[in-house]
Amino acid sequence: MDIFEEIRALTEKYPDRRGALLPALYIAQEDAGWLSQEALERVSSALNLPQATVKGVATFYSMYKHRPMGRHLIQLCTNVACMIMGAESLVDFLKGKYGLEPGGTTGDGRFSLVIMECIGACDRAPAMLVDTDFHSDLTEGNIVEILEEYE
Amino acid sequence: MIKVTIDGRDVELENPVTVLEAAKQAGIIIPTLCYFEGLTPFGGCRLCLVEVEKLPKLQTSCTLMTADGMVVRTETDQIKAARRSVLEFLLINHPLDCPFCDKAGECDLQDLVARYGPEAGRFAEGKRRHPESFDDPIIVRNMERCVLCTRCVRMCNDLQASYSISVTGRGSHSFVEPFSGGKYNCEYCGNCLTVCPVGAIMSRLHRHTYRPWFVEKEIETVCGFCGVGCSMVLQMRENSIIRAIPRAEVGFNKGLLCVRGRFGYEYVESEAQLTTPLMRVDGELKQVSWEEAITFIARRLKEIKDAFGGRAIGAIASGRCTNEDNYMLQKFIRFVIGSNNIDSSARNYYAPAETYLESIFGQGITANLISGIANSDGVLVVGGDPTAINPILGLQIRASWRSGGKVIALGAPGGLKRFVAYELMPTPYSEEIVLSAIVGRLLKGKALSGENTAVEAKLRSLRIPSDEDMEVTGISPEDIARASDDLAGMATSVVVIGPDIIQRERASKNLFLLGAIAYLINARIFLLSERPNYQGVMDMGCLPDFLPGGRPVELEMFRHKIEDALGMKAPEDRGLTLFEMINEAETGGLKALYVMGENPLFNIPDSARVKKALGNLELLVVQDIHLTETAGIADVVLPATAWPEKEGTFTNLERRVQRVRKARRGKLASYGRDDWKIIADIAERFGMTRKYHRVEDVWEEIMHVSALHAGLGYEDIADGKAVWPYSGEPLRGMEGDFSVEGLEDLPHVQDSEKPYLMIERSLYHSGTFSRRSKALLSIYPEPYLMINPVLSERLGLAEGEKARISNERGVLELKVKLNKDVPDGQVLLSNTFEGFGAMGLIGFSTGPVIGSLYIRDNTVRVEKVLV
Ligand code: SF4
Ligand code: SF4
Ligand code: SF4
Ligand code: FES
Ligand code: FES
Repeated sequence: MDIFEEIRALTEKYPDRRGALLPALYIAQEDAGWLSQEALERVSSALNLPQATVKGVATFYSMYKHRPMGRHLIQLCTNVACMIMGAESLVDFLKGKYGLEPGGTTGDGRFSLVIMECIGACDRAPAMLVDTDFHSDLTEGNIVEILEEYE
Repeated sequence: MIKVTIDGRDVELENPVTVLEAAKQAGIIIPTLCYFEGLTPFGGCRLCLVEVEKLPKLQTSCTLMTADGMVVRTETDQIKAARRSVLEFLLINHPLDCPFCDKAGECDLQDLVARYGPEAGRFAEGKRRHPESFDDPIIVRNMERCVLCTRCVRMCNDLQASYSISVTGRGSHSFVEPFSGGKYNCEYCGNCLTVCPVGAIMSRLHRHTYRPWFVEKEIETVCGFCGVGCSMVLQMRENSIIRAIPRAEVGFNKGLLCVRGRFGYEYVESEAQLTTPLMRVDGELKQVSWEEAITFIARRLKEIKDAFGGRAIGAIASGRCTNEDNYMLQKFIRFVIGSNNIDSSARNYYAPAETYLESIFGQGITANLISGIANSDGVLVVGGDPTAINPILGLQIRASWRSGGKVIALGAPGGLKRFVAYELMPTPYSEEIVLSAIVGRLLKGKALSGENTAVEAKLRSLRIPSDEDMEVTGISPEDIARASDDLAGMATSVVVIGPDIIQRERASKNLFLLGAIAYLINARIFLLSERPNYQGVMDMGCLPDFLPGGRPVELEMFRHKIEDALGMKAPEDRGLTLFEMINEAETGGLKALYVMGENPLFNIPDSARVKKALGNLELLVVQDIHLTETAGIADVVLPATAWPEKEGTFTNLERRVQRVRKARRGKLASYGRDDWKIIADIAERFGMTRKYHRVEDVWEEIMHVSALHAGLGYEDIADGKAVWPYSGEPLRGMEGDFSVEGLEDLPHVQDSEKPYLMIERSLYHSGTFSRRSKALLSIYPEPYLMINPVLSERLGLAEGEKARISNERGVLELKVKLNKDVPDGQVLLSNTFEGFGAMGLIGFSTGPVIGSLYIRDNTVRVEKVLV
């Protein structure tokens, strides 16, 4: 289904069109991996909400991406607990292994890396999200194994 | 009754208001930053903190409602410390580039820091950076200075309802941006500029050319662009306009202006302004003295009058000139020259429509308060986009929608797109059928009230279209039913009528139908007015058939009254309308034409024909501020003063009389003379004895002569209370005598293979003046042809490509812009660019019943220009 139609269908579930904005943005993001201006325009016209309003909301939340992303998004926590448990060396490791800088994307477009503040898994630090999958107790050893699962 | 104590003062309140409001009533001003009167309270800046007994924490007074027995303190040490901290936080990222900022001196942040501190901040890290944006020609934004009060966003969303900007990002990376991130691409009303408390959104027009304390005087006047008549203040330094700004407490526009009003004034300082009279010598316009020009005009007019009679002379009045100017022209032509040939471009639609509606319902039927539209529960819009023709009236319709009013548009809704419940988009020229069907449905099962028997008699013989008749319109019977039922359900409704439904065949029928709808649902009627003073032109008697005060010239009783008041005589029979004058010029019946502040060569269709007709005249006098197309072919051109250089009055479309005041004077003002003064000088050569020294003298006479304006002094007008019917006497008992074209049949709508060329009414331009305003030109710099994407595909014409449009009248080549709101079968062109007027390709005649402009033969061939 075209995202326009999909978003239209979504509005049925919400009392007003504004309520459907966050899920609509997810739909658009899933479609292209990120939210381009054109994608925001599509969301705005599908929901009949002003473009500027859509942009304001989309840029407020960090889960929406405003530049092209790799096929898989690694969200690695480096906040206190994860840092103590060695998250920073994982950052260096990813740089060495895949040439992946925080905020960057690998040359082949496979991974993007975003550094997160606490993702609520301090008891199993260090932790990360790959796309929507959660992984914990990371080490240099298992992180490669995990990532190799994602093409 | 609510009793509260604020800083020891007892305040009694009828209704609960916020603590901030209550304090203000008690004369206590609490500092604020995100609060702005008229905008929804936000409670975000926390400067308005106050202590309230029994409440543990400091409270934001802009959001806290008063309750009985409340004890409030507004300036304790604790509050001061809190304010200081809030400001310290704001200054963490504020660049403090005050020496370089145009806002310094009227900046709320600067003033607050001066009052509460801190002297120094404790934050040692660097400030955020965000480059200043110069993407826009007239607005510059510096988001480093932004304090995130969101006043601009609330203004743009809640009052302007343009929804063009938002706070983007978050935390210290929040900036107010338009969708594009660069250009605003908005309506450029500049109302966000008014509310920004700091120098984050500023005008580029006067960037770094002034400081707020350079303003030497402020002149309260009304806008000279359209018939809404917004109040504004011109801030002057010497003779230059520094800014045109609104004042929330002055005028019914309550602090709002549109792009033309706020940014369009520059034309008055344009170098193209005429400085001396010009006279045609050996085929060329040469500079001459005032004495020479006036002597020549008086002599030639006398010769023509002696040879051919007064009726061989005519005059065109101006919707851009004041009542006083128009009155004087009328007096001169009618009572001195002896001709009723006086009219104006109000003839295109405004004057005939109003006269016709008044002949049905009585004088003053269109005199309704603009500010009432916002409170109405339904609006029917027909014949034009109010947000472009009369922007601030358009905002009222948006406001009605916001508070739940049902807005229905017949035709493209333009700037009301987001604000209509739905639109009915009939095929070109089939609106009459749709309106007849709506009336038919409204009549069904409804007993007529018997209030207006003439209307009801006509309604009984109205042909109601069958479902089959409706097919050609493209509107389904269900849509008609829905629209009619919605209209019938409205309790306080409004019908807004624009030019496009009038400037066509069978205009009387369209107007009758709209009047009938208003009659049946008890709606107030508004007639959109493209010029600031079309109403004044009419009320001053610049019509071939009406004297000042809207008294019919052919009725002896009225004529004699005015003749007695003036001690002068006017001809008994009605004169020629604008179009009749052009016809007569063409055939040689009209010998001389005196044109004041109007440009018929540009504003009337079929320019080639108009040019030829005017070329036939023995004498063409043009009085204007620029050398317009028409002035270019005149025998004598007289430089007049521009809008901010004269004193007088305008009458807006709700018939409110308002004062226009002189802001520029002395040697830097233009060299023109006031229009009324020039004409009075010429009239004196004809032996008119009455002397006018000041504009007040002219108004005195108007009060004396026009039954409508009796007793309405300049002082009353200045109070803003000059609202219809003033204290004068509206004309009663003349209504009920009218005829309607084609009551018993339906128009024959034929499919045209070629699209119709229609006039685009742009928000950014409205005619001869706006095209000389650098600011407005920077927003909309060149004309383009607006076409529907369907047509564009058919022709293989993409956005930005060049199209050629042609018909037997001429050829134009210009860029294409796609707009899916343009109906298929039409193309739109703005008539506001030198050499690119839409009117040149349009043919016209006049409507037989009401005499409005009747646009015809306006199909064009559209093709792609191959490069
Ligand atoms: S200029 Fe007017 S329309 Fe544009 S952003 Fe400012 S308030 Fe909104
Ligand atoms: S730009 Fe001005 S009005 Fe808008 S949020 Fe910033 S400081 Fe407030
Ligand atoms: S709405 Fe009309 S009168 Fe008001 S500012 Fe705009 S052009 Fe001027
Ligand atoms: S600090 Fe990493 S999950 Fe909490
Ligand atoms: S003015 Fe009350 S919180 Fe800003």
